[in-house]
Amino acid sequence: MLIKLKSSALSGLEGYLVEVEVDSVKGLPGQSIVGLPDAAVRESRDRVKFAIVNSGFEFPPGYFTINLAPGDVRKEGPMYDLSIAVGMLSSSGQIKADRLNDYIFLGELALNGEVRGIAGVLPICFSAKQVGIKKVVVSVKNADEAALVQGMDIIPVKDLKETSDFLNGIKNIPPHVIDIKSLFNRVNEYEFDFNDVKGQQHAKRALEIAAAGSHNIIMVGPPGSGKTMLAKRLPSILPPLSLDEALEVTKLYSVTGLLNGKSALITSRPFRSPHHTTSNIGIIGGGRMPRPGEVSLAHHGILFLDEFPEFEREVLEVLRQPLEDAKVTVSRALASITYPAEFMLVAAMNPCPCGNYMDPVKPCICHSYKLQRYLGKLSRPLLDRIDLHIEVPRLKKEELSSQPDGEPSKEIKRRVCAARTIQEERFKGKNTHSNSRMTPKQVREFCKLENEAENILKAAILHLNMSGRSYDRILKVSRTIADLDSSETIEAKHIAEAIQYRTLDVKGGEYHV
Amino acid sequence: MGKESKDLGTSGEDAACQHLKNIGYKIIERNFRSQQGEIDIIAKDGEFLVFIEVKNYSFRSYGSPLGAVRKSKKQSIIHAAQTYLYKNNIKNTNCRFDVLTIYRNHSGDAHIEYIKDAFYVN
Repeated sequence: MLIKLKSSALSGLEGYLVEVEVDSVKGLPGQSIVGLPDAAVRESRDRVKFAIVNSGFEFPPGYFTINLAPGDVRKEGPMYDLSIAVGMLSSSGQIKADRLNDYIFLGELALNGEVRGIAGVLPICFSAKQVGIKKVVVSVKNADEAALVQGMDIIPVKDLKETSDFLNGIKNIPPHVIDIKSLFNRVNEYEFDFNDVKGQQHAKRALEIAAAGSHNIIMVGPPGSGKTMLAKRLPSILPPLSLDEALEVTKLYSVTGLLNGKSALITSRPFRSPHHTTSNIGIIGGGRMPRPGEVSLAHHGILFLDEFPEFEREVLEVLRQPLEDAKVTVSRALASITYPAEFMLVAAMNPCPCGNYMDPVKPCICHSYKLQRYLGKLSRPLLDRIDLHIEVPRLKKEELSSQPDGEPSKEIKRRVCAARTIQEERFKGKNTHSNSRMTPKQVREFCKLENEAENILKAAILHLNMSGRSYDRILKVSRTIADLDSSETIEAKHIAEAIQYRTLDVKGGEYHV
Repeated sequence: MGKESKDLGTSGEDAACQHLKNIGYKIIERNFRSQQGEIDIIAKDGEFLVFIEVKNYSFRSYGSPLGAVRKSKKQSIIHAAQTYLYKNNIKNTNCRFDVLTIYRNHSGDAHIEYIKDAFYVN
């Protein structure tokens, strides 16, 4: 008997329906799966066989053809196992076929019949809801994640037997419901706090500004001065995610399969810190069916690149476009997929390969050509896109031996959140979320300068030889500083502080103190 | 093939037929040959048409008998089965490929293991 069921496939962050058709003829035993299956789909034949037999069903005789429609799109991954098994059992009369059409089936099968979780359940359920599907059968492991989509009946199943009992009306499984509000309002505990950091008031202030306006920042300093320590504490002062942002981030992690075992909803801003050997594909995303890279995994969060100039040059240069557009489009022969990438770049570097350039105590032992090559990695276009450049100098002896007495993260976070509230008011109903993402038009509208401030900026442009883009960046940063000060207009002191965060602009990127 | 092993094969197949009859199968044909393969026993088990490959093992043999039906052997059995269905114009019948192994120990006692649904067309 011909059986039709629904399952789903992923293309980027969008799910689309896949119709699974199962039919059999009497004859020599065998199965074939058609509809451009990849290796993982083709292997589902063997998993399905054992899952069926080990769940106490009879493996149906005859020659089965399983068609995954639409037939011209490549099907990937093990998520069709459950629908294929249910289809075969239904085709041989072991599962009632009358209710099959209402559901989407998503799950991988283990040889013992257990239904395993799959990647991408959240985006699939969102897309399914949009095309009017109301009911989904998923593994218990994906139930929380799927239930984030409101207004759908999520049926969690443990194994194939339970699925068949449910469809045959022997067992009633109530739809899985979770309380999104309580999940979302959970207070995030941070491992690190800013009051662990000794000294470095200048750097802390800069990080506060960066957090308040979601500005990109680069820290330059000798080894051991606390750059990494500061960066790791940055998440503790960032404003909390909104529910929509949390869902967006969760979708990305769901597609990448990074949700497993963790909470269903990601409620804290991501902090990604890829190693400097990461390839450009790893950063941007890619693969035959493009997957999100680090820039997308850092969406609404922080991308921390430690030892910045140690990254391959091309890796650094690919960052330019997502820094500007807040999204990346990865094109491959099979698909062209756009992933969001609205992240805050935090970079840390030593001033030279040995780390002691310009240090008042230790001498630098680098050859000048080595130094040039090291700093040459930082191209002008890249530096233009980084709003704040700060130095993190070596701690003085008396600072080292003192007790850490900095402000706790909670205090800083309060100020950051206040500044963000002002920005939310300002950009209400617009696509922009923070000062750093203002369009040129918005910069003209919202960054009006007082006379005195205007003069300072003009003088700075003359002396510092700035590009048009870094001019805009200065205005954006000064807007954030004014917001932190709860000031409507940008005053001279705000613009002056913003200008002093452009140290690396001087002499076209050559490091100069 | 030496005479000794051929005799062993024939006597094995006799024992296999007896075993199949005992469990209620109807033997239809023995040693069906096509150009590319051979089926030792063709039998009927209820509505199923069963193609059975008989494997003999003496105590001298190494390894497990189950591993002995390899890909090329499978292909030749499948080919022969297709030929059989075509020649006898059999349609709409569920078929099965089974393997029957006979293991003889030192004293000559036979131990029969029967594997239903041993493999598929693909």
